[in-house]
Amino acid sequence: MLGATATAAAAVTGCSRVAARAGDIQLAAKAGRARLLSDSTVSTAVFGYGGQVPGRELRLRQGDRLRVSVKNELQEETTVHWHGIRLPNAMDGVPHLTQKPIKPGETFLYDFVAPDAGTYWYHPHHNSSQQVGRGLYGPLIVEEAEPIKVDRDITWLLGDWRLLEDGQISDDFGNMHDSMHAGRVGNTITINGRAPQPLAVRTGERVRLRLINAANARIFGLKFAGHSPKIVALDGQPVTPHEPSGSVLVGPAMRVDLIIDMVGDPSLKFAVEDTFYKGLEYTLTTLEYGPNPLRQALLTTPIALPPNRIAEPHLRAATRHEITFSGGMGGGMGMMGGGMMGGGMGMMGGMSWAINGVSATSHTHEPMLTFARGKTVVLNLNNDTAWWHPIHLHGHSFRVISRNGKPTAHREWQDTVLMPPRETAEIAFVADNPGDWMFHCHVLEHQAAGMMANLRVA
Amino acid sequence: MRKIIKSAMFGLGLALTAPAVAAGGAKPVAVLYKNPQCDCCETYAKYLRVHGYEVKVQATHDLPLIKKKHGIPTALEGCHTTLVGGYVVEGHVPVKSLNKLLAQRPKITGISLPGMPTGSPGMMGPKTKPFKVFAFNKAGRSAVYSVE
Ligand SMILES: [Cu+2]
Repeated sequence: MLGATATAAAAVTGCSRVAARAGDIQLAAKAGRARLLSDSTVSTAVFGYGGQVPGRELRLRQGDRLRVSVKNELQEETTVHWHGIRLPNAMDGVPHLTQKPIKPGETFLYDFVAPDAGTYWYHPHHNSSQQVGRGLYGPLIVEEAEPIKVDRDITWLLGDWRLLEDGQISDDFGNMHDSMHAGRVGNTITINGRAPQPLAVRTGERVRLRLINAANARIFGLKFAGHSPKIVALDGQPVTPHEPSGSVLVGPAMRVDLIIDMVGDPSLKFAVEDTFYKGLEYTLTTLEYGPNPLRQALLTTPIALPPNRIAEPHLRAATRHEITFSGGMGGGMGMMGGGMMGGGMGMMGGMSWAINGVSATSHTHEPMLTFARGKTVVLNLNNDTAWWHPIHLHGHSFRVISRNGKPTAHREWQDTVLMPPRETAEIAFVADNPGDWMFHCHVLEHQAAGMMANLRVA
Repeated sequence: MRKIIKSAMFGLGLALTAPAVAAGGAKPVAVLYKNPQCDCCETYAKYLRVHGYEVKVQATHDLPLIKKKHGIPTALEGCHTTLVGGYVVEGHVPVKSLNKLLAQRPKITGISLPGMPTGSPGMMGPKTKPFKVFAFNKAGRSAVYSVE
């Protein structure tokens, strides 16, 4: 059945490349080599699914069942987490919490139905700063039963690497500086595992661009010169189409689906710039128009995506909880959480991140909160740190209902909410998926340094 | 892991040959490498300027690599890294120690005020105890350089 729909789907969405049609899939996590740099004589030793970066794009239709047998051909344990998919707890890929880690040489079968259409991705949840930082990730696209009309459906999986001068990955994973500041932000950006190449477009074309941020820690803030992209989905979930205020912000693990109408004249070039880090702005890539327009007038067909069926939070009956994130280097305030004044950073005296004062050292600990199944939960998130944090909840999508006390315009569904320093956000969801679910910062170095908890739905 | 050997003095005070830039006269230009999202480093740059240094601030994501390249022992790491007069100056080092370093020009790699002590230049809050500035060399050895 899956194979039969493949050609139809490709025709509808105009896929630029043949994506693997999901069904029964074999995926091996293993070492490999990748050409990440524009200098084609250099290849980098990486970890990858199938030994390649990124792992194959898995595509399936909403409601389809995905069976992926993951073989661990690494020298260390691993798991696979299907980021953003609302799946049964046992398939969530969290070591020791939802499954035993997959030992070297072992195979684990992930088997679940994808209930929501949208843009997702897969990555390990074990030693993830290192395993993701070395390239273990891939896109997971769940197609709508009735897709919107676009000329091309393009996935940009954004990767970020810390490479040394010889083009190899710096092995300074877990260093104190990264842990206590912004995480492991790299020095080399890739799109779909390659040095960014110009995107060839045609006047009048409509593109659905699926951005997936697979970086350990880097936040992207993209500006498309001369164009007005509309955000149509966040973290896979449809949102009222709207233009971003400023740049298109994509925090680690987040996804943003854009609709871009190619309004430029033939043969022109437009920069796509990343302006997130002040003083380190750069041109990610360019849109390069071919000489022949695709059409004279732009498409006027609707771009709103059909909503997924997610239980609507019932705010009046909600149980509310306060969640405070703390730790890290303080902005001009010295070490937060004490212990470090005048000491060396390497001494680690009390240095960590915490959720409600608890700094987790492993994936297994008592649940921080337990929710009654089927009840609405509102979490008031308070980022009491000097740093940005993409906060991810497993097993559920939540509405972001307010930021800094102000209701959000779109009440967007997300699975990862990007929190600026010293800000607050309220998220609301129906705790309808039973199990113990990770709730953590997706700056993987922050997570490793304690910024995680688990929440139980019972 | 590099070890701190407190008792091992390695030529401190032996102002023989200068690694670069003659002492005396105009102060050398300082290049300060910092995380793009860190504010305290900017405040430290201002502090150096007030004390007569020309400071070029360079935001970078490569601080861990820069610290490694310049031989800063892990235990002596601070927030930002400054290169000045042929020396590595790590963290919120008070200018008195820096001036002494550039005047005496000992044969060391650099000096550090580890961590981010409150009340140190560029850091808010009260000074709770004397600042111990450490000297370190390429071999990763360190010793107290000054106490302010
Ligand atoms: Cu974080």
